[in-house]
Amino acid sequence: MEGIILNDHTKYSLTDKQFSRRILLQNAMWMSGAIATGIGSWVFPAKWSHAAGPIKVGIATDLTGPISFGGIPCSRVAKLAIDQINADGGILGRPLEMYLEDTASNEQIAVGVVRKLVQRNRVDVVLGGITSSMRNAIKDVIVGRGRTLYIYPQLYEGRECTPNLFCTGPTPAQQCDDLIPWLIANGGKRFALPSANYVWPHVLNEYARKSIEDNGGEVVLEEYYPLDQVEYGATVKRIMDEKIDVVFNTVIPPGLGPFIKQLYEAGFLKRGGRLSCVYYDENALNFNAAEEMEGLASCLDYFQNIDDPFSAKLQAAYQKIHAHKDKVLFTAGSGSTGMYRGVKLWEAAVKEAGAVDRDSVAAALDHAKIANGPGGPSNIVPGTYHCQMNMYIAVAKAGKYEIIDKADQVHPKECG
Amino acid sequence: MEGAFQIIFNVLCYTSIMILVVLGLGVIASMMGIFNFAHGEFILLGGYTLYLFHIWGLPLWFGIVAAPFVVAIVGVVLERTIIRRFYAAPIVAMLGTYAIGVIIRETVRGLIDGLYLRVPEPLVGMFVVGDISVSKWRVAAILMTILVVTISYLLLNRTSFGLRVRASLENPELARASGISTSRIYAATFGFGAALAGLAGAIITPLMMFNADMGLRFVIQGFLAVMLGGIGTFEGSAVGGALIGAMASGLPYMVNPILADVLVFVVAIVLVKLKPSGLLSKWRA
Repeated sequence: MEGIILNDHTKYSLTDKQFSRRILLQNAMWMSGAIATGIGSWVFPAKWSHAAGPIKVGIATDLTGPISFGGIPCSRVAKLAIDQINADGGILGRPLEMYLEDTASNEQIAVGVVRKLVQRNRVDVVLGGITSSMRNAIKDVIVGRGRTLYIYPQLYEGRECTPNLFCTGPTPAQQCDDLIPWLIANGGKRFALPSANYVWPHVLNEYARKSIEDNGGEVVLEEYYPLDQVEYGATVKRIMDEKIDVVFNTVIPPGLGPFIKQLYEAGFLKRGGRLSCVYYDENALNFNAAEEMEGLASCLDYFQNIDDPFSAKLQAAYQKIHAHKDKVLFTAGSGSTGMYRGVKLWEAAVKEAGAVDRDSVAAALDHAKIANGPGGPSNIVPGTYHCQMNMYIAVAKAGKYEIIDKADQVHPKECG
Repeated sequence: MEGAFQIIFNVLCYTSIMILVVLGLGVIASMMGIFNFAHGEFILLGGYTLYLFHIWGLPLWFGIVAAPFVVAIVGVVLERTIIRRFYAAPIVAMLGTYAIGVIIRETVRGLIDGLYLRVPEPLVGMFVVGDISVSKWRVAAILMTILVVTISYLLLNRTSFGLRVRASLENPELARASGISTSRIYAATFGFGAALAGLAGAIITPLMMFNADMGLRFVIQGFLAVMLGGIGTFEGSAVGGALIGAMASGLPYMVNPILADVLVFVVAIVLVKLKPSGLLSKWRA
C-alpha cells in the first residue's frame, strides 16, 4: 500500500459530476468568503439626540478568537463608560454613539473592519486592540491614512510614540520599578526569565533585566519558547538545578498552565521559590490550582480588592449589567481598565477642546486628567502619549490576591 | 540519578500524550484515507466533556469514561451527515473537516467565553519514593496510554470487527461482495477514531489549560507523526507519535527550545523524505 489511500468511493466518483475543479473552486471561494467577511459589527446609538448629531466612538477589539477573553470585557467596559457619559448628558451637549467592530484576533480582518470604522462610519476616535501586533496592524489605518485619534488600552512593552496614538495601560517601568525591588527583598537575587517568544516578553525582559541588575539581582536564565509549547520539563529542570530564587514569568497561555504545574510538581515552591508574573489578574486565578500559584506576585494598575470606593462602584456597575459575573471579568490584564481610562480621558479632552476634530482633541489629551478611574486618578504625562497611574503589588494567597503594596502615580517613562 | 529519572519520566509522559493524540488521527487517516482536520476539535470536545463534569460537580473519573463515548457519538453523526460526502475528494475532505473544526472550536470558545480554564486531575497528588516524586495523574496518563494502545491494537488485529475494517480498507469492493457493509464500517471506524480523540482530550486536559485552541497545537505535529509512522497501519501511527513526542520533549534538554521546536519538524521531514511511505509501512500491506 503506497501513499495516501484513496478508498473505493474515489473510483466511481471521479467521473461523477460531484467532483470537478469548478466545485472545488466554488467550495474554496465560499469558505474564504465566509471566513473573510464575518458578521461582527454593531452600532449602539444613544437614547436621545442633538441637532449637531452624535459623536461617534469606534471600538475595535477581539470579540472572537484566542484573544476574546480580553476583547469581550474590554468592549463591555467601553459600553459601560459610554452609557455613563450619555446618562450624564453626553459631551458638549451631544450624545455618544458607539460603533463596535470585532477584530477577531486576526490582523488582516482587523485592518478591514477598522478601515470601515474610519472611512465609512467616520468615527471621531477609535479605541481598542489588545495585542501589540494588533496595534501595529491597525494604527496606520487609524492615525496615518485615517487621520483619526487612536487610544490603545492594554498593558504592553512600551516604545509606542506615534503622534495621535495614546496608550492608557501600564508600561514596563510601571510594572517593574516597584515590583523588582520587592521581589529581590521577598524572593532572592537569582532570577529566571522564562518567556514566550514574541515582542512583549523580549522588550519587557530588557527592562526587567536592567532593573534586576540595578537592584543587585542577577538574571541566571533567560529563555524563549514557541507560543504554543506545552511541555516544560527541560526548563523546570534548569530552574531547579540553577537554584533560582525568583521566576519572573512571561510565558503566556496555553503554555502557562503546564509550566506552572510542572514547576510546582518539581518542588519549586516547596523549596521557597517565588513566582512572579506581571499580567496576572483575577482571570489568571483560574489558570492553575491555588497551591500551584501560591505566593505569585503581580503588579498591575488595578485589582478587584484594592481600597478605592470609585473602583468598587465601577466593578459593581459592571457586574450588575453582565450576567456572566464570575466568568468574563472586569480586570486589569484584559485591557479593561485602560479602556475605561481611555474613554474618560478622551471625554475630558473633548470637553476641554470644545470640539471633536483630531488636532484639538489630541492637544487637549496630551495633558488630560481624570480624578477617578479604576485603581485611582490618572493623567497623561505631556509629551509621552502615556498615562501616569497608581500601581499595586498583589500576591496570590489561597486562590485570592492580597494587596501588598501601592505606589502612587507611577511615571510611564516612555517617549521622552 | 534522580535528575535522569525526571528527564525520562517527563519525556515518557509527553510521549504518551502524543501517542494518545495521534492514534485517532492515524486510525481515520489509515483506515479511511481522510485527513481529519477536525481531530484537534474532537480532542477539545473530550476535554470539554471532562470540564462539564467538573463544573457540574460529578466525579471526574466518570468524565474520563464518558468523554470517548460522547465524542464517538459526535463523530458518527458527523460521518453520517457530512464526512461521508467527502470520501470522493480527499482535498475537499480536508477543507470540509477543517470547517467542521472551526465551527466546533468557535462554539466551544463561545460557551467558555474564550477563557483559559483549569480542570483538576481525577487523581491529585504525587507518588514519592525517596528523592523521586512524580505526579499521580501523569503516571495514570502513561498507564492509560499503554492500555489504550494495547486494546486498540487487539481490536483492529485480533477481532472480527478489526478484520472487517481492514478488509474494507484493502479491498472495499471485495469486502462488499463478501457481505460487509463498508458504509457502516466507515461510520464505526470514524466513531472509533473520534472516541480515541475524546479520550485523549479528557486525559490531557488536567495537564494543560482547557481552552478552545487546545487541540490545534497537537494536530500539526500529529499529522507529521502519522506521515512519519506510515499511513495504512495502526502501529505506524503509534510509533510516529512516540517519535515526535520523544523529540519534542527530549530535544529542549539539549538545545534551545525554539531550535528544538524547529528541529522536530526538520528531523521528521528528513525521515519522511528518506522513507516516503513511513517507517512501518513495509510491515503490512
